[in-house]
Amino acid sequence: MKKYLSLFLALAMVLSMCSFASAETKEEITLNVMLPDFYADAEWKTFEDGNPILKAIYDATGVKLNITWVANSAYTEMTSMTLADKKNMPEVMVIQGPRDAVTINAARAGAFWDLTDYIPQYEYLSQGEDTVYSNIAVDGRIYGIYRARAYARAGIYYRNDIAAKVGITAEPTNVEEFKALCFALAGYSDDTYCINMCKYVAGTIGIASVMFGAPYTYGVDENGKIYPAFEDAHFQEALDFLRELYAKGGIDPDFMTIESGNWDDAERNQNPKAFMRLDCLDNGYRYEEWLEQNLGFSNAYGEAAVSLLTAIPNSEGKIQIWPQNIGASGEIVITKATTEEKLPAVLKFLDWCNSKEGQTLINCGIEGETYWFNSDGARINFPEGEDSNSSKYTTYTNTILHSMNQLGMNVNGDLTPATAKTQLRDEYNANLIDNAQYVIANPCLTLDSETNTLMGTTLSTDVEDAQVQYIAGKIDLAGLQAAYATWHDMGGDMILMEYQAAYDALK
Amino acid sequence: MTAVKKTSAPAHKKTSFAVEFKKHPWLYIMLIPGLLYFIIFKYIPMVFLPIAFENYVPFSGMLGSQWVGLKWFEYFFKSSWWRYLSNTLILSVMSIAFTFPAPIILALLLNEMRSLHYKKITQTLLYVPHFISIVIVVSITYVIFGTDGIVYKLTTQLLGHSVDYLGDPKIFRWMIVGQNIWKETGWGTIIFLAALTNVDTQLYEAAMIDGANRAQRLWHITLPAIRSTIVLMLVLRMGSVLDTGYEHLILMANSLNRTVSQTLDVFVYQSGIQNAQYSYASAVGLMKSVVSVVLVVSANKIAHALGEDGLY
Repeated sequence: MKKYLSLFLALAMVLSMCSFASAETKEEITLNVMLPDFYADAEWKTFEDGNPILKAIYDATGVKLNITWVANSAYTEMTSMTLADKKNMPEVMVIQGPRDAVTINAARAGAFWDLTDYIPQYEYLSQGEDTVYSNIAVDGRIYGIYRARAYARAGIYYRNDIAAKVGITAEPTNVEEFKALCFALAGYSDDTYCINMCKYVAGTIGIASVMFGAPYTYGVDENGKIYPAFEDAHFQEALDFLRELYAKGGIDPDFMTIESGNWDDAERNQNPKAFMRLDCLDNGYRYEEWLEQNLGFSNAYGEAAVSLLTAIPNSEGKIQIWPQNIGASGEIVITKATTEEKLPAVLKFLDWCNSKEGQTLINCGIEGETYWFNSDGARINFPEGEDSNSSKYTTYTNTILHSMNQLGMNVNGDLTPATAKTQLRDEYNANLIDNAQYVIANPCLTLDSETNTLMGTTLSTDVEDAQVQYIAGKIDLAGLQAAYATWHDMGGDMILMEYQAAYDALK
Repeated sequence: MTAVKKTSAPAHKKTSFAVEFKKHPWLYIMLIPGLLYFIIFKYIPMVFLPIAFENYVPFSGMLGSQWVGLKWFEYFFKSSWWRYLSNTLILSVMSIAFTFPAPIILALLLNEMRSLHYKKITQTLLYVPHFISIVIVVSITYVIFGTDGIVYKLTTQLLGHSVDYLGDPKIFRWMIVGQNIWKETGWGTIIFLAALTNVDTQLYEAAMIDGANRAQRLWHITLPAIRSTIVLMLVLRMGSVLDTGYEHLILMANSLNRTVSQTLDVFVYQSGIQNAQYSYASAVGLMKSVVSVVLVVSANKIAHALGEDGLY
């Protein structure tokens, strides 16, 4: 078996070298792909309908893409159902949760091709970061190509024009000033709030608690013992702060009923209801651009109405940033629906997706159809001089480009043509580099705990619910601690024990 | 005599089905979709019940997965199973107490209507909510009961304090029951109205001559006439005491009321579909089904004891 495998590998290498030598020998294949869909209302054009982007991909690689779009909100459920149906699997699919039980079980059961030995053979795939590859690995084997995301994306963005109206013109430089800013914004008007929160509270609580000094998900104390983040004093400090802010009218009283899909509503509004959000900061510059395009705010340097706030020291002078992700937003796997003969061609295609040509086609589309360049040479989404509010271009882009960027991996960095420089985009990009050192990690991310796989989600939902109730003033500290005690009794202690064993074994 | 019986009985049965089929072919043809429904969605899935005793990995298949015996049942009883069961039972009892009688009362009211034209219009309008998706019903609820909603503002003015309709766990079940009554009562009247058409009108005339007023006629003639239908519906309802559905509850649930919204169905959905714990979910689903069967059989026994026809 090993002999055949090495023979096959050698053959594959020779073949791929040949194909690099002569770009003309393109293998024609049809590839069934499943991707999350963010534009469910846009009518997607298939290859047969004459989609120019799919045509361009075909011309460049010989791969005819047959894409199954699954609404992003249902993607996780659809993934588990897809992986349950051996006969109707797509050949290539996006996995949003590389560490979910579904993914790990499927990988162990042999649903995906093990790519560990193939990745070094490909020009672009091999340029990925080893740490991120190991973050998505199962039992030390890599089953997918990760979709790269910067670590230091999380932070706070807020409307500095409103802050100026309540008397705060300087950006907070530590946690105490941040709290003062929040309380000032909460008092701006009776109809408005400070922090924009929704049903998805993990982000808000996570960003606040880590900034205040708590570990992420699990911490390790000075004796090397693993403990849940919510038992850290700084975590409680964050909850107490949010509770106080809620009581003072700084958070929408109905926040826990707002769907995450409607999260933007409170801020992207003629009369915004909330002025601050704890989230990934690329939303901050998108918000600023929304204000420019829809409400006519100035886009001049130094005049941005939105401020990005991250990497501020806590009460002990320590700086910490919540990891928005594990260096990746999911991965792209090749399922066993792909035959062994087809595998090199599929890998070659995924490798091509990371090339400059591939990245540009997948993320931006075709110049003159879905993107243009302005006189400064920056990439824009509509021809220069056209009305930016016209939906004509966006509609067409969605029809042919859709959520194709979901196929993008960019493990070798972003090679797409640069967009216009704005103050916030520059700040954001500088943050990504300068602040990467402050991003903390979950020590248990790659550790194994059977109990956590089985009931971790249920248990953490209960704890999170109790935290929301605490913030909303429905329960007191005793009630919150009772919920933590339940967590321990119902399986939390088992999880800690299993993690501890795995953690100690690694050392 | 006995010999004749033995030989003729099966033959008689055979011919009788053919004869019956020839007599009412369409009735039997109309039976097919219903039969298919039960075979495909209720009987075929039973073949896969063994996964409740396995550590089922879809990719390995039912035969390739590891056998773990009663592990999942033990896990369930180690978890907060009592919460799921009690939420299910409380919601069901409330639904039987309030949702079940609603269509009967409405059907009786409709039956008393004089103007046939007006009655027809009312009936049609009452059926409309049934065709509205529960997602829409919940959205409407959110709009009118949220802090910006009309009901919220009105009750805040009237009571002098605010009522947290969407978050308060004490109100949660009443919201669910209320939504169900609004949505399904009109549709539920159909079967009772059909039963009411069978009531002999001569009985009413005779009672009127004897001087019975409306209430007395209702109590002594109409209700006894549809009693067997009510009992039948109640026995059928008992079979689904543990079925709360999950869609409606998940839509209405949030961090404040989740403790009361988690029923067995919600649990099965969350662990099976969302967390992909197929074996665990199957085990809990299996337990639920066993309890349901016991409930139907005992409800039927009780119905017989009360002198009604029951289900079988």
